[in-house]
Amino acid sequence: MAVCTAYTSPSLHSPYPISNSSKSHHHFILSTSCRSNRRKLRGEISCSSETNTVVIGLAADSGCGKSTFMRRLTSVFGGAAEPPKGGNPDSNTLISDTTTVICLDDYHSLDRTGRKEKGVTALDPKANDFDLMYQQVKALKEGKAVEKPIYNHVSGLLDPPELIKPPKILVIEGLHPMYDGRVRDLLDFSIYLDISNEVKFAWKIQRDMAERGHSLESIKASIEARKPDFDAYIDPQKQYADCVIEVLPTQLIPDDNEGKVLRVKLVMKEGVKYFSPVYLFDEGSTISWIPCGRKLTCSYPGIKFFYGPDSYFDHEVSVLEMDGQFDRLDELIYVESHLSSLSTKFYGEVTQQMLKHADFPGSNNGTGLFQTIVGLKIRDLFEQIITEKSATPAVVSKV
Amino acid sequence: MPSMASPLSGIHLPSAASAASTKSAFAPVTRRSLLSPTRSLISKRTIRLMAVYSAPTSPEGISEKVSESIKKAEETCEGDPKSGECAAAWDEVEELSAAASHARDRAKSSSDPLENYCKDNPETKECRTYED
Repeated sequence: MAVCTAYTSPSLHSPYPISNSSKSHHHFILSTSCRSNRRKLRGEISCSSETNTVVIGLAADSGCGKSTFMRRLTSVFGGAAEPPKGGNPDSNTLISDTTTVICLDDYHSLDRTGRKEKGVTALDPKANDFDLMYQQVKALKEGKAVEKPIYNHVSGLLDPPELIKPPKILVIEGLHPMYDGRVRDLLDFSIYLDISNEVKFAWKIQRDMAERGHSLESIKASIEARKPDFDAYIDPQKQYADCVIEVLPTQLIPDDNEGKVLRVKLVMKEGVKYFSPVYLFDEGSTISWIPCGRKLTCSYPGIKFFYGPDSYFDHEVSVLEMDGQFDRLDELIYVESHLSSLSTKFYGEVTQQMLKHADFPGSNNGTGLFQTIVGLKIRDLFEQIITEKSATPAVVSKV
Repeated sequence: MPSMASPLSGIHLPSAASAASTKSAFAPVTRRSLLSPTRSLISKRTIRLMAVYSAPTSPEGISEKVSESIKKAEETCEGDPKSGECAAAWDEVEELSAAASHARDRAKSSSDPLENYCKDNPETKECRTYED
């Protein structure tokens, strides 16, 4: 396996000049090594270096906002993520300049017919090939391209595989990113989207009522039938997550069950390398904050924040909570200006991201706010890892 | 974020403008429901009625499969609602419903290449909107 050094002289390879405005750019020059994976790539040389692939895990049930989160995340990293060009139109993969998102449904070992025959759901580990998942995520992390299967959600069959090249950031999203210990150990950061039953029901009504054949009864029946497997195999993964986004009904409107106004909690593990939790006013204190008052007028039912230390599955965590929704831009900017350790690159970046995707679900509440913040934290984590890893080879080469 | 976006070694990176023109040249023209843009403005009570009209926005094949799978799940669960077969049947409903929803989103977002481009590049000249 050949190892070479990549020089980032702009004129050498790229027809487009690379603007060298960022300070971290130099680190890339020092650290990048190219590995040619001749066997798997059929002669192509992959230049995403093995030391640089950062792996992120995102776990959530089907229909709980993973796609929206992915769109926000890849937007923070820069550039829109799109399906692979010229490939299978039913591919579940998304690729941007920096990031590749793969869907773990592609590791189903039983297709739809197989699951029906055996009477198991896709939530059941028996329907998934964790050995292959582990091998391929590990290979990508080491800078090797893989031929990943494609699970076709329309036909319910496994399609011919697609070639996945090692990206700078690999996101594995699906039902089981933290289920298998070996896969879990490959993750540099993990997120669990924890949607309460009430909200899940409301979201699925929004999603499915327009669909022929669906009714309130069918939506309820589907959630209930899947629940035992969800509780057994999906929900326990949240104990391993570095960050959990909990979505609950609001407490601002008494007995609200419309699921329109949400209370969202961002649970952030303490002591995670490269990750410093966001805080409100004073790190480590317990704070209850209603930003609406004399300086800022909010629309009904208002906004309420909470921040403080807590424990989560015996881990020390910081919790930031937002109840209510933003109806006006000044509300959002006001809130952003009072949060610290956001990992933004300029003042107002959170607000800018939220506005840019105002049409995404949750852009006016805690789900959009916290997804954006987690995106910024992951960008920060990635840059720290790159900086640290790039420093090492430079020292070695001097010796 | 220039540092993350810049390729390191000879990876071709089309500029935003060229990406947009490729999109507009090849994006398929999809029929768009006239009702869908106003959907969010319509009160919850009318959702059932809307269902009749907005159903065709998801590709025919998937919609068929969703309604078939619901019928099958109801049949399968009649005998034993606690069985694995029943759970698997409703899981299939969930999987197809999610697929139908994704297909609807995709159809919506690919309908106007300029709109798509402007979503990611709202600050560019061609995406500016003016009020008089």
